[in-house]
Amino acid sequence: MAKTLVLKAEIRERTGSKDAVRLRRAGRIPAIVYGHKKEPVAISVNAHTFVEGLHQGHRLIDVQIGSKKVKTIVKDVQYDHLGKDIVHADLMRVDIKEMVKVSVPIELKGTAKGTHEGGIVEEHADHLEIECRATDIPESIVVSVKEIDVGDALHAGDIELAEGIKLVSSPDTLLATCHLVAAAKTTEELEEEAPVAPEVITEAKPEEEGSEEEAK
Amino acid sequence: MAMMPKRVKYRKSQRGRMKGTACRSNYVAFGEYGLQALESSWITARNIEAGRVAATHFLHREGKVYLRVFPHKPVSSKPLETRMGKGKGEPEFWVARVRPGTVMFEIGGVTEDVAKQALVRVAHKMPIRCRFVKRRHSL
Repeated sequence: MAKTLVLKAEIRERTGSKDAVRLRRAGRIPAIVYGHKKEPVAISVNAHTFVEGLHQGHRLIDVQIGSKKVKTIVKDVQYDHLGKDIVHADLMRVDIKEMVKVSVPIELKGTAKGTHEGGIVEEHADHLEIECRATDIPESIVVSVKEIDVGDALHAGDIELAEGIKLVSSPDTLLATCHLVAAAKTTEELEEEAPVAPEVITEAKPEEEGSEEEAK
Repeated sequence: MAMMPKRVKYRKSQRGRMKGTACRSNYVAFGEYGLQALESSWITARNIEAGRVAATHFLHREGKVYLRVFPHKPVSSKPLETRMGKGKGEPEFWVARVRPGTVMFEIGGVTEDVAKQALVRVAHKMPIRCRFVKRRHSL
């Protein structure tokens, strides 16, 4: 059962980047509530409460707009250029019994067999699209990599999901592989491979010039 | 010679400006941990190579190092004791343009502690302030 967070929101009368910047300075996050074929509502929520809720794994949020309470899920979050602060959030209206499509992070657990033979586990995908009830959204999908040997791969189809959760991503989605690491090239080796000077595409080649003159 | 493109359209380029912040290449995409630039700067091919050597040397073939920047831009300079004029100088070295937020190096297949130690060594080779970042899982 997903945890529910109650957030007090204020309707944004004025939208636009300048007003959004002012809101962020005041410790709030601009957000939007949409879905269920109703008009979207531009709101702002307390940044600290929202971020803390996300860190605690809340996906279901009860947004209190005035005297109304709207059940939503966090559909998308935008970060700043450094990936530090949240600049905007998308909240989608949901019904408790409704099936929703969400992306859930994958957590690789355990030490792979192959690592004892000098291999490393490479993570190819960090989240999976699933379909489940709004109240049953898992915080993360734990995948055991214990059985992976050198040269083996783990696909989305290999994971056993809990009851009531359906995989939306392609079952062929590559999640993790275990492989040996090739020795890194030394600077000398790279220098040997690298060209002394790059080839210039637009530069006229002397042979072509000669042939053109002959043609004339 | 260090890293440089194999083919280019023009041999020399103007200096240009580096305004704004990184809108792309600003998240960890391949490995699990990364080194993010906090300032805008030219990162020379030598800087990149020094960082790569520092990381691979520390990791001892344990993890995998990803380079997320490539020196595409030629920088020319005039020889010493030359009078001004007589055309643009010859290309001397190659640089990557880095803006605040760009993830320059990534490491995968090692623990967070090891990755942090390796990336601190890489950061010492960089001419700008950097920070250690982790891959963000979806939200």
